[in-house]
Amino acid sequence: MDAFWIIVTGFLVASSTGMLGNLLLLRKMSMMGDALSHAVLPGIVVAYLISGSRASVPLFLGAIFMGVLTTFLIHFFSARGKMQGDAAMGTVFTFLFAVGVIMVTRYAGEADIDADCVLHGEIAFVPLQTSSFLGLGVPSPVWTLLILLALIQLIFWTGYKGWMITSFNQEYAQSIGIRTALWHYSLMAATSVATVVSFESVGAILVIAFLVVPAATAYLLTNNLKWMTVLILVQGLLSALIGYWISDLVQGSISGAMSVASFFQFVLAFLWSKKRGLKSPL
Amino acid sequence: MELIWKYITLADPNVRYVAWAILLLGGVSGAVGTFNFLRKKTLIGETVAHSMLPGVLIAFMLSGVKNPFVLITGAAISGWLSIQLVDYITNESKIKGDSALAIVLSSFFGFGIVLLSIIQNNYSGEQSGLDHYIFGNAAAMSPLDSQTFILVSIAVMIVVLLNFHNIKAVVFNKDYAASIGINIKRVDSLISFITILSISVGIKAVGIVMMSALLIIPPTAARFWTQRLTPMVLISGFFGALAGWLGAFVSYAETSMPTGPWTIVIVSIIAFVSMVFAPKRGVIYQRWTKLKLMRRINEENLLKAAVQCELKGLGKLFNRLSINTRQKFETRLWNRTIKRLRRKGLVRKVHTGFTLTADGRAYGAEIDRRHKIWEIYLQRRMQMNIHLVHDEAETMEHFLTPEIEAEILGELGLCSRFNPILEIHEIIPETA
Repeated sequence: MDAFWIIVTGFLVASSTGMLGNLLLLRKMSMMGDALSHAVLPGIVVAYLISGSRASVPLFLGAIFMGVLTTFLIHFFSARGKMQGDAAMGTVFTFLFAVGVIMVTRYAGEADIDADCVLHGEIAFVPLQTSSFLGLGVPSPVWTLLILLALIQLIFWTGYKGWMITSFNQEYAQSIGIRTALWHYSLMAATSVATVVSFESVGAILVIAFLVVPAATAYLLTNNLKWMTVLILVQGLLSALIGYWISDLVQGSISGAMSVASFFQFVLAFLWSKKRGLKSPL
Repeated sequence: MELIWKYITLADPNVRYVAWAILLLGGVSGAVGTFNFLRKKTLIGETVAHSMLPGVLIAFMLSGVKNPFVLITGAAISGWLSIQLVDYITNESKIKGDSALAIVLSSFFGFGIVLLSIIQNNYSGEQSGLDHYIFGNAAAMSPLDSQTFILVSIAVMIVVLLNFHNIKAVVFNKDYAASIGINIKRVDSLISFITILSISVGIKAVGIVMMSALLIIPPTAARFWTQRLTPMVLISGFFGALAGWLGAFVSYAETSMPTGPWTIVIVSIIAFVSMVFAPKRGVIYQRWTKLKLMRRINEENLLKAAVQCELKGLGKLFNRLSINTRQKFETRLWNRTIKRLRRKGLVRKVHTGFTLTADGRAYGAEIDRRHKIWEIYLQRRMQMNIHLVHDEAETMEHFLTPEIEAEILGELGLCSRFNPILEIHEIIPETA
């Protein structure tokens, strides 16, 4: 049963982050997951200092707030400060992470806190956090992730036209009166929420992987959005299954193994697309 | 004060190594980062640094010892592999650079995490401290480390100096570099080589994120100060070194404070200050030039409209309402513009309104003339519709220099004192 819940958790994370990863891929913002995983640290520390507890809800809110702030800062620096886009991202997240580390060191004496609290969640512990909701032994992270997935699906399918059009051709979108900044920020806010929620249950590295690898795999195989969505879900499920199997085999970290499994599928898709030539719709 | 003096003179042998090492590290990575920054591969350091985890761990598993050279070699090899993989993915598929970076980062690091958990399960203690090779520990720096940094700095400097022209050509324009016979693959490998070299030695001192920050932030800051490669490399190196030196000082003065993060905070502050205050490219300067331009355009529009009113025989007296028939001014904008024009002596206040001074009339007439010349040029040379030329000329009249004006008149075969009374669309009768 433990294995089942772990695989379900992996699949849920893959499907909600994968949908957003799809859009991030088109916007050339795939490194956002990595950036957010580092940048939310000061938010967590401040939330901890204010609330005085390691309860996950305040830390969670702190991290989400920081994630949204990070995306604002990155956009601000590249748009107003005329920083090169990737440099703006690099500057913002490393700076915030450094501030976070300094805060952790400064308050280390009074507080038992480090980045592990929220960022390095371990998927292996998911089955242990069982809540007896409706009499079913469903772990609480699964509930959270289910709600997240429902939200992401709702947002994605209501907003994907706006996001698609602003991703493909910003100038055109602007010229027909679409508010590109609004779409940008709503996507970034959704990404922040989704990543932070997932960080807590499966750890940063798996989220970074699931944010880009399934979407990239699907992107190599098809140009059709609906097929891409399906492929992302399949990729996520296979990653969770194979990853769990690998980790069981070598007795190693499950999150790490799942990201490696996801990468294997990417390699297969890559070789396939190379063989078929570059432009090959399914 | 005494503390600062003690730090600067490096009287304390403990601080000597750390300060020198971090200073060199900052300088070298600032300089190296410039090349990656200009190739728009700023975040490559982040991927390479993360990708070194499996290399370090495999090196440890194979050798069974924590020999720094063995571990650094392992790190360098897996860093090299990650760069090759990123390049291969971007070249051979439709995946873009940043996605390739994220894919390689997450898979290598994920693999590293699997290895780490295996090692922790199967070794009984000799592995402790292994994570310092990836997550950084500046306090534990030894004389050996600063010697390594000196060697690396020299090596990087030699590589860069020997190949400076090739690197420059490749960084700015790959196609051009290829066309003049530069071996791009070789130069790319050289840049990768120095990147990996500085990351693999630096990562042990400051950790993954701080190391990639040292490659990202100094060039970002330096970019605000210069347009040229050589100054940029030097400024970037200087910012990195300065931040490293100050960061080491903070952790010297306050022993509990970590060196790496303080270095990054300081260099980030340098970057933010550069972004705001740098001449030419800074936010304040850019805002200021834009404001000045807007003011000039408003002044010129007002003068031109006043001159046109005079030409139309509406009298020399004008006010906001009479100008508004030709050029729309809101009250506040009008007041400000008039105030500036009066201060410059181009407009004078008379009892019921304003009138142009001789200078103001000449200036306004010149703008009006440029407008008309540009209209004729567009109509005759560009075959533009006569009803469309006016809007184009409204913009260009503010930017035509006397030289361009003379050239246009020459090309159109017009006298250099050509000065029509009416705009071109006013000459043509409306066709019903």
